[in-house]
Amino acid sequence: MSAKNKSKNNVENVQEKLQSIKDREGIIGYILRGPNSASIDLKDPTKIIDYAVLSATAFEAGQDISAMFEIGEVDSIITEGEDTKILSRVVNEHRLSIFMEKNVDHNKLCKDLNLT
Amino acid sequence: MNKDLYAVALKNALTEIMNICPDVRRSFIFAKDGAIVARVSETDEETTEKMISAFQSIAEKADAIGSLKAFYVNGKKGKVILSSVNDMYLALAASENADTTYLHSVTRVIIPTVLKLLETITPTPLQLAPSKQLVVDTLSGFFVGDSVQIDTKILEEWAELLNQKGISEVEIEAFGGKATQCRVKEINDSKLKGKGMIRIPEKVCKTLEVKKGELVKVKPAST
Repeated sequence: MSAKNKSKNNVENVQEKLQSIKDREGIIGYILRGPNSASIDLKDPTKIIDYAVLSATAFEAGQDISAMFEIGEVDSIITEGEDTKILSRVVNEHRLSIFMEKNVDHNKLCKDLNLT
Repeated sequence: MNKDLYAVALKNALTEIMNICPDVRRSFIFAKDGAIVARVSETDEETTEKMISAFQSIAEKADAIGSLKAFYVNGKKGKVILSSVNDMYLALAASENADTTYLHSVTRVIIPTVLKLLETITPTPLQLAPSKQLVVDTLSGFFVGDSVQIDTKILEEWAELLNQKGISEVEIEAFGGKATQCRVKEINDSKLKGKGMIRIPEKVCKTLEVKKGELVKVKPAST
């Protein structure tokens, strides 16, 4: 299997798993953004723009901070607000942001999505 | 609390945290407006400012999730934690092996506790006894020793102000700028008591470059 196909399969696997976790308690939704397309599933569609902007900024800031402090390639970024948090990870060439309530165990979520 | 004292106390707290956990490589605290409150020397200014700028860019867009409380970046070779502490933010950069539980204790317990303490503590002002201007009288002879003599009343006044049993040493400063510290005794000549005088051995007068009749400033030596 070529690297490109393998990568495509990985993303498809993640997409399938995202469908299975999106209705879990505390999960608000996700944004999976690829080079040419994006999948968005949020419980409150009015927040799509705000969440998309915040998730893009978090990725940029995370990568900048990683370079400044020489902590190597970014594995994951957690952005915590008052009651909500965002888990951001790069899956192949896709940027995945999962929005959830603060009490959700994001490490378990990563395991369930095979992202560890 | 005085801002400088506040910054020093926080810097000491950060230094101690780094001493206890060598995995923490850099740490600093900054205010919401980006002003650096405390920073340990290992963190250079340029990196600090860039980091604050990156963080502020997220904070500006974080209304959608309530205000920004924390931002964690986990890299392959280390991790960076930015955490809201009262009205400030704490930044910690640690190696990949750093104990996450410990780092969370630092960000969520230790630093907030230090900040709370600093905000509630009002430092007690140092008790400073006022210096007195006294007229020099010289002491000469073989047995005068090195001690100066001052009125009992002045010594008792200083002792009471400083909450001490007695004053054993004083600092003497001549108006020419020379200063010295000497042991002190009560004036033993009853005729000279209550006249605002200080009896100084000739040798000490030479050190201070003062003569009989000149004024000197005298205060209890700090212990």
